[in-house]
Order: sequence, then structure tokens, then C-alpha cells
Amino acid sequence: MNALRFDCILTMKGWIMSLLLTSVSMTVFAQAPPGAVVNSVLEGDIIDSLSRRPLESITVNIKGTTNQTQTDKQGHFKIRTGQRFPYTLIVSSIGYRTQEVEATGAPLNIQLRSSETQLSDVVVVGYGTQTKRNLVGSIAVVNAAEVNKIPVASFDAQLQGKAAGVQIVTNSGIPGEAIFVRVRGTTSINSSSDPLYIVDGVFLNNTSLQTLSLGGRTTSPLADINPSDIDHIEVLKDASATAIYGSRGANGVVIITTKKGNYNSRSKVTVDALAGWVQADKSTIQKLASGPQSATLANEWWINSGIDNPALNRTFANRPFRPVSEGGQGLPEEQKTYDRISDILHHGTVQNYNASIQGGSNNSRYYLGLGYTDQEALIRVPTFSRENVKFNFDQKLSNRISFGLTNNFSRSYRNQAFAGDGPQVNLWNSATSAATYTSKYATDGTSVGADNTYILMQHYDVNTVSLRYIGGIYAEAEIWKGLKFRSSFNLDYDHYSEYAYWDRYTSIGLAANGQANSTLTQNSTWINEQTLSYVKELGSSNLSVVIGNSEQSNVLSATSAVGKGFANDNFRLISSASQTTASQNWTKYSLASFFGRVAYNYAAKYYAEASFRADGSSKFGANNRWGYFPAFGLGWRLKEEAFLKDVDWLSELKLRGSYGITGNQAGIDNFAARGLWTGGSGYADVFGTPLSGIAPQQLGNPDLKWEKTAQTDIGLNLDLFKNRISLTVDVYRKYTSGLLLQRPIPGATGFSTYWANVGELSNEGYEVNITSTNIAGKDFSWRTSLNIAGNRNKIEKLPSQITQYTRDWVILKQGYSMNSFWLYHQLYVDPKTGASVFEGQDANGAVTTDDRRIYGNAYPKIYGGITNTFTYKDFDLGILFTFQSGNKSVNLNRYFRERNPSSGGVNAKVLQRWQKPGDITDVPRLTSIGNNYTIDQNSRYLEDASFLRLKELTIGYNLPKSILSRINLTNARIYFIGTNLKLWSKYTGDPESNVTSNPNAQGLGSFGTPPQPVGYQFGINVTI
Amino acid sequence: MTSYFKILIFPALLLLACNKFLDVKPKTSTSDDQTITDASSANTAVRGIYNALESNDYYGYTFQTLGFFSGDNIQYVGSQTVNQQLTNHAVLSDLAALNTSWLAIYNTINRANNVLAKLPAIPSGAGFADSVKNQLLGEAYFLRALAYFDLARTWGGVQLILKPTSSASDKPSVKRSSLADTYAQVLNDLKAAEPLLPLTTNRIRATRKTVWALLARYYLYQKDWVNAETYATKLITDNNYTLLKPYNSFFANNAANTKESVFELYYNTTVTNNQASQWQPTSNGGVGWIKPTDAAVSLLNDPTIGGGRNTLVQKVVSSGVTNWYGNLYYRTVGTDPAYLIRIAELYLIRAEARAQKEDFIGSNDDLNAIRSRAGIDSANIQDKNALLLTIENENRVEFALENHRWYDLVRTNRAGTVLGITDERKFLLPIPYAQVAVDLNLAQNPGYSNN
Repeated sequence: MNALRFDCILTMKGWIMSLLLTSVSMTVFAQAPPGAVVNSVLEGDIIDSLSRRPLESITVNIKGTTNQTQTDKQGHFKIRTGQRFPYTLIVSSIGYRTQEVEATGAPLNIQLRSSETQLSDVVVVGYGTQTKRNLVGSIAVVNAAEVNKIPVASFDAQLQGKAAGVQIVTNSGIPGEAIFVRVRGTTSINSSSDPLYIVDGVFLNNTSLQTLSLGGRTTSPLADINPSDIDHIEVLKDASATAIYGSRGANGVVIITTKKGNYNSRSKVTVDALAGWVQADKSTIQKLASGPQSATLANEWWINSGIDNPALNRTFANRPFRPVSEGGQGLPEEQKTYDRISDILHHGTVQNYNASIQGGSNNSRYYLGLGYTDQEALIRVPTFSRENVKFNFDQKLSNRISFGLTNNFSRSYRNQAFAGDGPQVNLWNSATSAATYTSKYATDGTSVGADNTYILMQHYDVNTVSLRYIGGIYAEAEIWKGLKFRSSFNLDYDHYSEYAYWDRYTSIGLAANGQANSTLTQNSTWINEQTLSYVKELGSSNLSVVIGNSEQSNVLSATSAVGKGFANDNFRLISSASQTTASQNWTKYSLASFFGRVAYNYAAKYYAEASFRADGSSKFGANNRWGYFPAFGLGWRLKEEAFLKDVDWLSELKLRGSYGITGNQAGIDNFAARGLWTGGSGYADVFGTPLSGIAPQQLGNPDLKWEKTAQTDIGLNLDLFKNRISLTVDVYRKYTSGLLLQRPIPGATGFSTYWANVGELSNEGYEVNITSTNIAGKDFSWRTSLNIAGNRNKIEKLPSQITQYTRDWVILKQGYSMNSFWLYHQLYVDPKTGASVFEGQDANGAVTTDDRRIYGNAYPKIYGGITNTFTYKDFDLGILFTFQSGNKSVNLNRYFRERNPSSGGVNAKVLQRWQKPGDITDVPRLTSIGNNYTIDQNSRYLEDASFLRLKELTIGYNLPKSILSRINLTNARIYFIGTNLKLWSKYTGDPESNVTSNPNAQGLGSFGTPPQPVGYQFGINVTI
Repeated sequence: MTSYFKILIFPALLLLACNKFLDVKPKTSTSDDQTITDASSANTAVRGIYNALESNDYYGYTFQTLGFFSGDNIQYVGSQTVNQQLTNHAVLSDLAALNTSWLAIYNTINRANNVLAKLPAIPSGAGFADSVKNQLLGEAYFLRALAYFDLARTWGGVQLILKPTSSASDKPSVKRSSLADTYAQVLNDLKAAEPLLPLTTNRIRATRKTVWALLARYYLYQKDWVNAETYATKLITDNNYTLLKPYNSFFANNAANTKESVFELYYNTTVTNNQASQWQPTSNGGVGWIKPTDAAVSLLNDPTIGGGRNTLVQKVVSSGVTNWYGNLYYRTVGTDPAYLIRIAELYLIRAEARAQKEDFIGSNDDLNAIRSRAGIDSANIQDKNALLLTIENENRVEFALENHRWYDLVRTNRAGTVLGITDERKFLLPIPYAQVAVDLNLAQNPGYSNN
């Protein structure tokens, strides 16, 4: 012991040393397994409960031993054991629900279900597992195979409609971009409200490393993970489930478990190939007025403005679209129409290939997965491709000691394009906002305007490579009966390299004579954890305890360079630039934690659970560094009570309740609590030489502390008719206080905000999940799974309102939901004058800031999904609908394209403008004078963004066993997947689209950002 | 057994002994308790004030646009159509540019306050000569004066903050000062700066001459014609400053730091002036969102009015349509200087002061210095009002694309007549809504929504 110094930072080296010592000592103490008593053979058959087909490669394990075997191609198994009847078998396989079967005699006939819920299902919880029966917390489980073929880059986007209480909004149709995910609402304003993602124990970085400004849209770090490697996903929602993650639990925890091999199973090779295309859903693409129509509108705008303000000297005589002979651009009817949107849209090919091999011997098991995916967007230029290698390995050193590793290597490559807000080099916007009468090319065949769509399509050169390693090693030892020690060291390392070259055909390149940007960003998080768990049966009661500690540290560093002034466009690296600038950033945080949980149940009837976590974060000052997060849960399985025990139709009835406190510190600056001065803000010295300067950067707040969310959850589980119908209902209330907020202070201080704990907000909601097996015949089956959730967000306390995004469309104000819209309410268009009439305007039609009102918000009142699955003999059909209702969105595309017909493309909607007295319309008279078109925050552009989407439709055909055995395959399936096939919405565009990845500016739709595509894919899956 | 139990608790023990693990210090920034402590940091801190002055939100772009669009020379045709509120003189207090500019100006003031509060405590000595120390102090006073001057002429009397803010609890507890008191503070600071600064010529950093130039403008705004003339004369008679001919010599062909310039801000590719990309058309790598008005274009192109000043505008023909754009800012890499005070301004200040004093000969001389440089006919006007009007119009074309027109019309109370503003309360812009909302001491200007 003395050899090990009490050094503060636990290094990898230190960890390995202590682990080795542990292993050595445990090997010494390890005892020989109990000797075999009797030698008997148990045989049996395993079939699918619905299809009645024999199942191959099912693992059969005798509970409490390592003795296990697998079924053969006929679904038959044979296991040799020393145990006496009765004993319990654990029957498990990927894609099927694990079952415990009591063996009282041979042969055994076992039916396995691939259905939705089973009480004995093992559910992953924080730092352990539990059976569904014993679960007190609220946890949603998603079987990855159900959704992992949806052609998006990251698994989070595939979860829409699959887990109650998890809201997924896919903001953009460009693969690999960040999406909006909320578990039970938004709990924070300036801190992150994204859930915590954990892959096989590795806490994932979910903050985009993108530094290039691409109009506010950012890439998703979750896209580095191959969805095909995921076995299942658990979403931890209530406090009793999440509080053991303490400081990072407030927004829910998404635990991803990747595929593993099985012990004692022969090698199984699976190959899956999927290819197809994506294309635009025309109903989500804006309709522009034709060339002649646009020119007519431009003239009308011109002339009306001149009438309203003669000083402008805008008359019929000098209208822009007058005959060429008069110096104009030609009469409106002479204009041609150029359809850029159709030219930028295309059928993007999508391909996805996965191969895996898995298996295991007595003491080791492995899974090796290889993946390649290549996805083009529905518009030209952006693409996403990824190569993955996944390797999981576990080894038993003895009955008591095991170790293993999990690895994911990936390389994600993106061709990126500016898709979001901003005028320059904006690819999608260049097509949607150009006037339809503007020709595609100038007469000399070159560009019209620097950022012409056709020029951009040919000259875009922005690409990103993310090299990522996610993985770790663990060792586990049973020290005593029921007492297990586990130690792990995990790493998430991302090397993110961005490069852009803007040639002279683009506006950026034109201004700078060629410009190149290059940034290398490295993000590494290491985490070390020790847990000690203990399980003990005491008569009828059952006790389990886990305690542990965790340390983690994150370093984010970036070096970037910009080069301007290139000799010509053949030179593209910064070394060839005449002017170069460079910068460097570095930031770090550390987190230290202790945690524990005690779970007790009496006769599988009464449950009590308590957990606790203490987290210390380097982000806070010494006074408030540590946060303490307790949680309690109770459960009561009424089904086990005497009065219900014999009620046949009732399979399960359980009441659950929990209360706990979780924290949040994610997303705030690592040095938010410190008063800082920045360097580099320079100016020239008296001799004219540029030199660095220093200046105040932010005000410190030594009292800055954890944001805390208290959550109460009450839940009910009800299973009927032998689990044919199963219902889960939860109601919850989350109350967040001490919000980490960039609190506005008077600008006269020289600062606009500082980090403080102010404000409180609440989320209240419910979740209902129903699964039912409607028909389970020999040839035909039909299952339905429905989840519905509702959440109401409310800012309970906020000392002063805070506005978001340019033009202050979005506001945070006490008493209202977050992401509320702050608008001037256009009541109607006066039929007599054609003027917009706003709520609160004075007699002269003038409005003031006082007249702005809060109208609606970006959060749905109800959201969820419904899945129907049918099988008929060898065919299967799956249909997933997703929906949101009650959410609003300011349609920024309409705002930009309906406010000034004299500049750029004009939405066809403007053709409905007021023209003469008596016209009834909501599009006011065209004029640049007055309030008709000069008020950015006009409620006219606010739309109902509720939707129902046919998200996924899958048709599959399994080759019959008779054919399979002839060609020596275990399984073969051909299938078709259609995605986003149909959308029902009043919104003009894609109701999920958003101009920016900024979560506080959700609800600003359709501008610059292409909609989600419709996808058609065909695939084949073969298992050898 | 005992040995591995020790191992198990080993990591736990590590943590308990371990606050160092959680003490992570930034590298990119420094703590605010060790800032201005010696000659070097004092020098860098003063450069930090200039950096705020020339930032995008202040003289680099946004603040300038408030005056640009409020006048009748420059229009906004880009995507932020809300800026047309300025042109229409129907400004709502939530106009984003108001708050952006407000914050940038007070940020500059806070940086100056830091220097003024901390620098005197640094002992002067071998590494830090008194002359350097005085110069830095003088520059801080000058820059604070300029910032308050800009606040006063845009918004009227404001809260006077003269101490640096070091924590969030240092919130201002003062109400707005009167316009007179605000201008008095400007004068105090200029008078404090004057003796501290060296009598040298430096066009990018403040000297005693820069103070005089601003004093001339200050007295003009105060209608103190004698002092305005006195201080203008100090610059005009200094042969380090001359009216360059032709007119575009002070900006064309990448010129900077010319003898025309009394005070301009220096930009390079790291700290950029962002006007050019707004002014230049897309064919030159800009967005073309800011343009001279049709009226300004025709004045500048009129050989009897604009003369050589027609070089301020250029035309581009696209699809047979002629578009005029402003070409004062054209270095799209961002290195255009921001022109704050040119010697031409001092001539026109003195011309106006002399006209007010009815020294028509002197006034016509100054006016004609400007006119002859532009290559237009001399004037000889003996009627006071006609002369003042001619000077006003001369200002309009001489500074067509600089931030003068709006403030000239407001200070002479002519904005109503010229721009058709019926409500004189609109001569001041509204206090930013975000500021009124967060600071109870800050009253809104009359004539604007009282939030």
C-alpha cells in the first residue's frame, strides 16, 4: 500500500496497478466451484411462441451456474448437469425475451416470446440490472432492431414515437445533424436539457465539436455510433431511476447496451445489406410564385410604396418591371420562371451494410461488428458516411473473476453545407430564396450573384472527419457470496477535423481571394468507476445494495487556422495563403462522485428503494462544489396480495411511487463561476503595430451552484390476460430550482449577463404505454404498441424576461412555457384599407413594444407513437406512426419570403394579398411603408405545427426453413422499409424543421433547413 | 482479506484527500483579480478599450448604423428589414441594434473605468515612465468621454458610471443624469485627458490634438461657437493635417492613416471592420445590404454638388439594371479604417461656428476649402441662414457615407423639417427595451413605450 502514493489524480496507470493487485488477491482467495454431485442430462425443445418455429442458437443456462448450452437448428438442446430437480433454467437470445423456466423433469418444451413485455425481462438500471417485475422506477425500453433501419445517422433520431415521454424532433433533413431530444420536458434554460447518454458504461459526449459556422446547424456526436451494434436502449425517466446519476440525471438517462456474444455458443455470422434512396416529400417544399407573378408583385409593392411615401419617388413610370426599352427589366409577363428548388433536390442514395460475428466458449464470449453506411441528403452536396468496428469481449478467469472490454472505433465523414440561417453560401436557402425570374446563369454562362445555387452545388468544399473511440475495460470479482466488486476505466475520445475551402465563385472566397478554414478539435473524457454490489435473500425478503465512486475528467481543445488570399483555386491548403490567422482553445472540467442504492423487497410484494449520489464539480466555486442527490421509491405489487393472487385474468398489478432530487451542470461554461479577463482583444500600439490587449470577459459568481430538479412520479403497471394486454401509466411533476442562467444585468455595468442560479421552472405530465397482442394465431399475429405522453412546461420564477434568437421571436417569461413566441398579433387585414390591424394598436395604427403578446410555444401538448406489427406465416409487416399535437412554430421561410416581394423569391401565398376594398385575406396590402410588412414578429407567420407522420413501414419475408436448410442458412429475410411516407399537418413545410440547433430557439421552422426526406430501402438479412 | 479491502477503498480515499482534482483553472482567460498590475498590463488594458471602441457592435458596425439609417443618405435593403424602423422614425425599443450598441458603449466605458481605477495605483519607475502612465490615463479619459458623448447624442442623458464593475452586485443604483450633466461629464473627461496626453500627432491613438478635435465637435453641439472655433483652429493650423486632393485620397487604394485623418480606428485581419461586406455587392464578395439612398447618389453624382466626392459611389450593372453602391468601405477582408474625425470636419465646424458668429468671410473661406478640394465652385454667401444651410448641405455630401448626417440634423433641430419627423421626441432613440426591463432606475425616453 505504501508504494501507492496518495496522489490526487487517479491516472490510468494508477488504476491498472490497483486493479492488478485486486485481481491477484482475488485469484488467491477464489475458491473452487462446488463439485458435481449427480450426472444427468436434460433435453428440451424451444419454439417461437407465435410462429411455432423451432429456434436455433438459444442459450440455455442453469441458473446460478456457468453451465450452459445452445439449441441446434431443430431448436433442440441437451444439457449435462449435476443439479437435482427442480432447478431453474435461464433461456435467452437476442431478439427474444429472456425467460426463467423451472425444470422439474425432462423433456422440456419452452416457448420464447419476442413480444413487448415480460415481467422477468431484465432491465438495465443505473449501475445494475433489475427484472421488470421488481422495477420501482420509470424506465422505457426500446428494442433497437425495431427502428435501427430508419435512414438517419444517429440512433436518437430513430427513437421517435417508440418511448413514452421521450420527445424527438428531427430538425433537419441532412443526415448526421443534431436533433432535439427531451425526456419529460425541458428542465433548464442555459444549462443543457439533453439527456445523459451512456453506452456500455461510457458516458458519451453529446456536444457537437463543430466549430465551422454553418448557419446555426450542428453535427450530432451520436452519429458516430452504429445503430446496428445496439441491442437495446433503456430510457430512465423518474428520480428513483436517475438519481444515482446525480448531477446528470435531471434530463433523463439513455442507457445503450450494445450486442454481446453468448457463452457456449457456436459462431454466428450475420450479414445485413440495405440500400435505397431518399427524396423530398413535395408537401413539405415551399411553393414559390412564378416569374411573371413575382414580377407583378414586385411592381405592386414598388408603386404602393411610392403612393404611401412620395419622397421615395417610386412610380408606375419607374417600376422595376417595365419594358426593357424604358430601362426596366421587362414586363412581368415577359419574365421566365426558373425552378431552382427542383434542381437542387435529387434522389439521394442511402446504403447500409453490416456484418457481425458473435459466439463464445465456456469462459469467453465476443461480438465483432463491422458497419458501413453512406447516406446522401435529399439535396445535392451534403453526405454522411461512417465506418465502424465494434468489438466486445468478456473473459471469465474463474467462477468469480471476469474481465472484459468494449470498443467502438468509427470514422464519420461528412460533406457539409451551410443549411440554416444567414445569407452567405447558404446552399438550401440559395435555391429557396432566389427570385424565380432570375436566370440560372448570366448571359456569359457564369454565375448570377456569387452564391448562385448552381455555383454552390459545384463549388462546395466543406468536409469533416470524426475519428472516434468509445470503449473501456472492466474487471469484476465476486468477493463473497453475493458481494461483487467491479471496476472500470472508460474513454470517449473524438478527433474532429474540419476543413473548408471557399473558392472565388463563392461570396466568402470572392471577398478574401480564396479562403480556407481548418480546425482540429479533440475531446476526451475518461471515467473511472468502482462499484461494490451485494445481493442477499433473507427468507421472503430480498436485499440488494450497491455503492460506488466515480471520477471523470473532460478536456476539450481546438486549434484552428484561417488562410486568406490564395494564388488561385488550385492551391487550397492554408500553407499557400498569403494571410493566415490561428487560434487555440482549451477547456477542462472534472467531476468526482460517490453513490449508492439500497433496494429491498418483501415477498416480491412490497418494495422500497433509496439511492444517493454526491457529486463534486470543478465548475463551481469551493463553497458550492458538492451537490447531494437523494431519491426514494416505493412499490406495491397488488397482484401478490391474497385477494388478487387467484384472479386469472389479471397478470400483474403494481403501484409505484418515487421522489428524488437530481442535478444539472452540463452545458454551462467550465469556468462559469469565475470572474475572467480575456487576452487577445488587441489594438495597435502608438506606432501602429497591432498588439494584444486585455479586457474584462465575464463577472464571477463564487456562489454559483448546482441546478436541482425535484421529481415526483406515481406509476401503475397493469397486465391482463396473461400479458396479452399490458398498460403502464405514469404521472410526474418535475420542479427545477436554482436555474443556471446567464442572468441579464443592466448594460451600464459593462456586462450584459452573468452566471447565476435564478429562476425556477416546472414540468408536469403523464405517460401512457399500452401493448397488446390482439391476435396470436398459428399463422397470423397482430400486436399493437401505443405510447402517448403529455408535458406542460412552465417558467415559475424569472426575475426578468429573456429573449432568444435574432428578432426576439422567442421569449422566456415567468408564468409561461419556455420557447414561447413573443409576437405582434395581427388580428386581421382591414378589408377597407388592406392594412394589418394589430392587437393594441392606437388610432393611427401605431404599435409599441407594449403590444407584443405571448402566443403559444414550441412544445406539443401530446406526443407519442403507435406501432402495429403483423405476421402472416413467413411475412411480417410493421407500421409506425408518430405524432405531436398542440405545438406551434414560426414559419421563418414564410417570414423571409412573404415580407418583401421586391427582393428574392416570393411565396405563392403572397398572391392572396389585399388588392382592393372588400378583399378578405390575412395578407395585407403590399407596401414598404407602415406596419404591413416591417414588423418582423408578426403573428401571421405563426403556424400550428401539430403532425401525424407515417414514420416507418416495414414489409419482410422470411425464407422458409425448408429452403434455408437446403442452402445451409439459419435465417434469411428480405425486407422493404419506407420512412416518412406520409405527413398530415397544417404546417406549410416540415413541422419538425428548425433553423438552428440552439434548443432555446426551437420553434423557428423551415428556413434554410431542408425537410426530412421520404426514404425507400430494400434489404436482406442473412444469418449463417 | 485486509489487503484487498484496502485496495477497494483506495480510490475513495483518494477522493477525500482530493480537492485539487476538482480545482481546474482556465488557460484561455485569466482571473479578474490580477489584471492591471504593471506597465505591460496597463498598456494591454488600454488597447483593450480601443478594441471595444472598434468592435463590431460599436464603431465597427452596429452603432454606426443607428445614425446611418436614421439619416437620409444611407438605406438598409437587407434581410433585417426591422432596421427600416430607423428610416421611418418609428423605432420600437426592442430594435436589436439599440441594445447591441448600448452594451458595446458601456462595455467600452467599463474598460476605461478599469484603467482609470487601477492604473494610478501602479508605481511609476524605471519600467513605467510617468509620461507613459499619463498618456494611458489620458487615453482612458478620452475614450470614456467619446463613449458618453455618443450615448448623450443618441439617447440623451444617461446613467453615469465612473467606477469599474467587479461583481454582479455592483449594479448601478443611480438614475439617469440630465443631458446637461452627461455632457458635463464628457467635458470633465476631455479636460482631464488634455494635459495628460502628449502633444504629438497620432491618427489611431488619442493625443492632445485628438482631444482638441473632439472638444471642437463638443462645443459645436453645445452651440459654444467661440470655443468650437478655437479648438477647430488648433487642428486646422497644424500642418500635420491637410485636406488631401483628390477627395478619395483618404480612402482609395487601401489608404489609411493619411494626413486627412485626425482620428481613425485601425483594423487588421484579426480585428476586422465589418462594413465592407455589408456595403459591397455580391459580385464583390459582399451582401450589398447597405446602400446610399437614391437622393444621396444623385447629389454625389451631380458635378456641381458632389464633385470629386462622386468616388464614394460606384455602379454595378446586373441583368441590365444599374445599381449604385457605396464604396467608402470596400476592403472585404475587413481592414477598412473607421473614420471618426477627419480634418474636413474641423473646417466645417469652424465654418458653422463662424457663420453663427456672423464672421461670413471666415466662414466662406472654411466652406470653400472643402468645396475646392471637392472640385466644385466656391461659395460666397452673406446671408446667415443661407450660409448655414449651405454648410449643412456641404456636410451632407462631404460625409455622405460617414455617421454625421443624423446627428447634424438633430443638433441643429432641423431633423423635423428635413426628414419630416413631426414628433420632436423621436430625435432621441428609445432606451433599449432589454435595459429598461432589467434596470428599474432606467427610465424610458419620452415618446416611447414605457416598459
